[in-house]
Parts: sequence; C-alpha cells; structure tokens
Amino acid sequence: MNEADRDLPRELLAESLLAWRIAGSVAREHDGTLVIDEAAKSIRIDPGEHPMFRWMVTVDGRKRGAVSLVAVLRQVREALDPGYATQRVRVAIAPLVPS
Amino acid sequence: MSADSTAPIPVSVLTGFLGSGKTTMLRHLLTQPEFARTAVIINEFGEIGLDHELIEASEDSFIELMTGCLCCKIRSDLAQTLAELLRRRDAGRCTQFDRIVIETSGLADPAPILQTLMTDATVAGRLALGNVVTTVDTVNGLATLGREEISRKQVAVADRLVLTKLDMAGSSDSALLGQLAALNAGAPVVSADHGQVAAPLVFDAGLYDPQTKSMDVTAWLKGSAYHHAHHHHHDADIRTFAIVREEPIRAVTLTLFLETLAEHCGADLLRLKGIVNIAESASPAVIHGVQHVFHAPAFLERWPSDDRRSRLVFIARHIPQAWVEVLLAALDAEVAAVAHASAPV
Repeated sequence: MNEADRDLPRELLAESLLAWRIAGSVAREHDGTLVIDEAAKSIRIDPGEHPMFRWMVTVDGRKRGAVSLVAVLRQVREALDPGYATQRVRVAIAPLVPS
Repeated sequence: MSADSTAPIPVSVLTGFLGSGKTTMLRHLLTQPEFARTAVIINEFGEIGLDHELIEASEDSFIELMTGCLCCKIRSDLAQTLAELLRRRDAGRCTQFDRIVIETSGLADPAPILQTLMTDATVAGRLALGNVVTTVDTVNGLATLGREEISRKQVAVADRLVLTKLDMAGSSDSALLGQLAALNAGAPVVSADHGQVAAPLVFDAGLYDPQTKSMDVTAWLKGSAYHHAHHHHHDADIRTFAIVREEPIRAVTLTLFLETLAEHCGADLLRLKGIVNIAESASPAVIHGVQHVFHAPAFLERWPSDDRRSRLVFIARHIPQAWVEVLLAALDAEVAAVAHASAPV
C-alpha cells in the first residue's frame, strides 16, 4: 500500500466532517492511529489492534471494534452528530430493466 | 401497432411547479398519435381539482387522485391506482394502453413517486420506470427556482426539461438556462410552443426502450454534460456531478459504497445513475438509485462504446463531490488490502 492509500482513511474522515458540517480536524499519527480533535468528543481510531476488527474506535474512553471503514464512519457520526439517524439501503422490487 | 399485453409498461412522471404548464402540455400531447394509447393519472392538490377538466382523454384510462399531494400522503394510493389500471387493462375494461403518465401536483416531490414505482410489490414487474419530465415556466421560473426548494428538486431529478410560456417571455432567459444547467446539466432542454411539444422529444428518453427492448445507457447518463457544469454552481444546495473511474471497481467495494451513500445521505441523494466496470464481470452494470432505494444492478450484454470507464452521475443536495470521491477510493483501498491479506501465499 502506498502513502497516498495509507492516508485515505484520514482524508475520508476529514471530508466526512466537512460533509456532515461537524467541526473538527483529523490527524494521523506515525503508527496509523487517527485522532479527531476539536470536535465535541475525543475520538481515536486505532488500526489492526484486534484480530476480528480492522479498527478500534475509542469515543471518550469507550472502545468498540469496527470491521471496516463503513463501521468507523457510522460510529464517528453517531458520536458527533446528535441528529443523525441511519438509513439502510433498500433494494427495489422492480427490476431496473424488464427481463 | 398492437400492444403486447405482457410487455412492461413504461411509467413517466410529468412534474413542474404550480402554473408551469404541465396540464397544457399534457393536453396537447394526448392529441398526438404517439400518445393515443396512454393512461393518465393526475394528482391534484386541494378539494376542487380542475386539471382533469382540461384533459381530454378516454375516461376509462384516466384516473384522478385528489386525496392530497402524491408525494407525501397517498403513495399507497398511487400503487393501488396503478394496480387498478393494470387490472382494467388485463380484463379488457379499458384501452390497451402502452404508456402511463403521472402528472404530479405542482407541489410534489417526484423522488418518493419514483420510489413507489421501484418498491411496490403489486406493480413491480408489470411496469418499467420511464423518465421524469419537468416543465419550467420561462416567465416565473427563475424566481420560483430561487424561492422554492421543491422546484429545484423537480428540476434536479428530471430526465428532460421543457421550457414553457416562451410566447409570453419572448425568449428563454440566459440566467434561467444557467440555473437549469447548474441544477441538472444532464437533462436536455426542449421548448414547448404554446404548450405544444413533440412527444418523442420528451417521453422517449428513459433507460429502457420497450419498442426495441434495449437500453440506451449513453443517452440516459449524458455523462459528458457534467464536466462543463462543474464550473458554475458552487453555491447551489443541489448539485450534479460525475465520478469517473479508470480502474474496474470490485463488487464488494461497490456494495459498501452504495450502502454508505444510502446510510449517510438518505434523502439528500436525489438520484444516482451509473454504468460500472465491475472487476469480477466482463459485462458492465447499470445502477440507479433514488435517495436510499436502489435497483439491483442490471448487467448489459456488452459495453455501449469503447469507453470502459465507470461513470457515476450524482444529483445531490449538500453532498460534496470530494467526499464521494474519497469514500470510493478509501473503500476500494480497504477492500484491496483485505483481499491481499487473505490471498493464499
């Protein structure tokens, strides 16, 4: 994995805060840990700490596993955006094109 | 031409803000031979509907919905109405129509109507999603777009935009055209002359052509239009943009990407259309979503051109393009890393 790819999770979190209009900044430490500062809560995201989870997300001292970046995004948004209500994807019954 | 009673029937949505000329245009369309076998559903908002009085269509293939605004109160009524139309047709109790047009109220959000067509089990399989046609009044359109969020949404989700009342305005306003391009660069703009417009110009623009039983993905996406539009709509709350990827996208990445969009964007993802080069498939996949509802991808037999890039067109509100791009890149990199880590040595 090249440096640009290694920085993608940080970039994704930074762009996510902008998209969700949430104040905060995201820094990547030398070991790959992501730290969200200046937000309403203190959040750390550690990579590869647990065999079952790619990431461990710590919000105000409470640690939870995340199997992917999708789960990381969900946990971070739940922590920082009180108005957030997740909406699961729904698959249409009707086919896009008739068979 | 005789209608194939088993062929899927395209359903088009005619929308546009109050007074933008929907009913006038529909009245003219129904006099054209191409529209002879059309069932019409008109949704009027208010206790006393008038629009249906202005439409001359055979009564057995015409239904008026007056219980409220189509988008919010009576979605189930729409599904029931469509099912009833199909029952009448199957029983030979009405014209063997081969097209349905839903004229929404001027205050309706078309997105939930599209979702009803996509998700209702009673009509799925019998109907095909046609296109969305939005009328825009050249006299008042610019002010309306500036003032009314619902008007901007009606323009943003359209497959075709029809300018009306040019006879009163004199010419189409360049500021109005600029605003339309900012909201929806991919939708061709056609003009109605005193409400008259050729039917094929506005209603034969869906993804699926029931006559040829084929898909015209290139026209449906209009991907090239979005590069031009990128430069002049920085402040708009609704934006159209295209994401282009040179490299094939893994199926898992695409799934996670669509799930994340639905989860975090919800109602702000007005429409998503795309053709995707799936890494595990020789055939391209066509995708379409409205807010959090997505069709299962449809796989084409072959690429429509030599262009093998994935192209995703977004019509979105408050969704930054930069976030969408980095989301796809980050998910792709993570999926690749997992695949690499789990590959046999």
